[in-house]
Amino acid sequence: MTIERIDPELCNGCGICVNSCPVDVIRMDKESQKAVIKYPEECMCCDYCELDCPQDAIYVSPERYVPHMVAW
Amino acid sequence: MAIENVVETDVLVIGGSIAGCFAAIKAREQGLDVTIVDKAYAGKSGAGFAAGMGYMVFNPEWGLDLDACMKAINIKGEYINNREWTEIVFRDSWARYQDLLSWGAEFPVEEDTLLVKDFLPFGVVRIKRRKITPLLRSQTVKSGIKIIDRVMVNDLLKQDGKVVGAIGFPMDSEELYIFKAKATVLSAGYNSFKPAGAEICSLTGDGEAMAYRVGAEITCKEFPDVGNYGMNPYPAWRGGRGSRACFRYYTDAYGQEVKTHHQYESDLTLEFAMHAGRGPILWDIDSATPEEVDRMRKRMQHSDALESERIGFDPGHGGKFLQAGGGAAGAPNAQTAGVWPVNTKCATSIPGLYVAGECCGTRYLGAYHPAPGFGLTGSSVTGSRAGLGAAEYAQQAEEPVIGDKELSVLKRITYAPMEHKGGFSPRWVTQVLQNTMIPYFVLHIKHEKRLQAVLTVIEFLRDHLVPKLIARDNHELRLAHETKNMVLNAEMILRCSLLRTESRGQHYREDYPRRDDPAWLAWVKLRDEQGQMKLEKVPIPREWWPDLSQPYEERYPKRFPGE
Ligand code: SF4
Ligand code: SF4
Repeated sequence: MTIERIDPELCNGCGICVNSCPVDVIRMDKESQKAVIKYPEECMCCDYCELDCPQDAIYVSPERYVPHMVAW
Repeated sequence: MAIENVVETDVLVIGGSIAGCFAAIKAREQGLDVTIVDKAYAGKSGAGFAAGMGYMVFNPEWGLDLDACMKAINIKGEYINNREWTEIVFRDSWARYQDLLSWGAEFPVEEDTLLVKDFLPFGVVRIKRRKITPLLRSQTVKSGIKIIDRVMVNDLLKQDGKVVGAIGFPMDSEELYIFKAKATVLSAGYNSFKPAGAEICSLTGDGEAMAYRVGAEITCKEFPDVGNYGMNPYPAWRGGRGSRACFRYYTDAYGQEVKTHHQYESDLTLEFAMHAGRGPILWDIDSATPEEVDRMRKRMQHSDALESERIGFDPGHGGKFLQAGGGAAGAPNAQTAGVWPVNTKCATSIPGLYVAGECCGTRYLGAYHPAPGFGLTGSSVTGSRAGLGAAEYAQQAEEPVIGDKELSVLKRITYAPMEHKGGFSPRWVTQVLQNTMIPYFVLHIKHEKRLQAVLTVIEFLRDHLVPKLIARDNHELRLAHETKNMVLNAEMILRCSLLRTESRGQHYREDYPRRDDPAWLAWVKLRDEQGQMKLEKVPIPREWWPDLSQPYEERYPKRFPGE
């Protein structure tokens, strides 16, 4: 399912992924100062967050939150 | 009402794509105060880097020939390319490439040569998204440009017939943003319907929609992107990782090859195969020879492909992948649709408003997309020109004044979805829009009856659902404005498609399967007239007509079904 997890153990709170996501899926949690998945419905599985995360803390699976009809 | 944050600047750039960054840097070089606002993150935004594996450069020293390039575009673009702009992009491309080099860009070398030979007569060099986006960002920062990330601009401010700024709201806080600018560059990308395949779900036609609402002219919405980028279980371009290496090896449900016109060109072949009942269409790497697989792998290494072993896709593993229909649904033929520029400085019919990148309708490629790399280059060129044009305008413009009445109307529009207790969620309306517009028999294989029927539905969305969109927070407020803009873009697409009663390039009408020369050696242009979308046909200059004495089959090497 889409962006699946952000590992709080690995996340250093740098915030890069929040800026990398073009569709505002990820936010910083004010209390823990870690990145959290806030709006997974919008995730387009582009992997930018995963590629840009310096800690390898993010895992994105290729399936959409709302599965699209494929192949018409 | 939210706290107001007033930003005053000489030149406001809306959208920090490659076009927006070029515009901002060029305007800043003129000594002006420049601000970029982006609903995501300036430097990384835009379609270009989602798609980009190439950058087109014209350089005679590489043995390239301008006449050959122009001729190729005229024929591929089926003669409705704006030749003035085609030539401008070729000629300017070298300087923009030099700009990128001077900012530190590197272009990976492929098989001992910089040029990707597959695309001759055009010069296309490889790029890497992850190498170029940080450079654009650092160059804008170094130039002293003010950057406001994660703020969505939803409307332009117009006063006394001129654009004097914009209004927007942030993702992460409550304050309202009011931008006062002497000149505004709109570089907010093209439209999509948040499709399954391409990574363009942030691009919702905001630029064209905002421009339309202040009375600017929009052109060429009838030419869709026809890339079948989507693959299942690899549903997206995945950072430009290799999908372009796969315009081949398509097989239908019967195991027959589905042959596209050219390995890299995405014509309507797959849609026609689907229409004939041959689906589902598979991308069948198992049918490629080991040498071909090797070539694919090499090509993907030059993009962001295989950058991360776990998520990178390796064609060496083979497999058959289901094609997602309408992979880039809602997107136009790149660089063709957009706001009509009235001169080569990217001014529009509205004083103070300049356009760049994918929402600038230069039409320099005409009815067809010839090869990878033309989008990024076109966007660099229009970005640079719009930045200089806007700077020139701003230097003689007066301080912008915004009336309280105009401002209060726009504030109400901005926050309307937050005020609605009941109504329709933007996610649901978006899904209805997707299911209405994305079927191949609406967006790609068109017919008057179907276009009319769908237009009726879209008008209902526009009149009944859009005014009652609801948002519970600023993230959903963004979704609401995006949905409103996509619905407006859908209407433009349908109306332009209905008016063009012929087939040409990427626009196919089942009920008019032939090109109609000279009647449709023309562009469609539309604008808002007292709440009505008014369309007109603008003939292309006669000297750009093809030789009409040449037999039709030679003038147009590609056949449409049914002609
Ligand atoms: S980029 Fe990685 S380390 Fe940085 S905030 Fe996001 S998840 Fe955490
Ligand atoms: S995969 Fe893309 S869309 Fe999804 S959360 Fe990451 S950056 Fe955002």
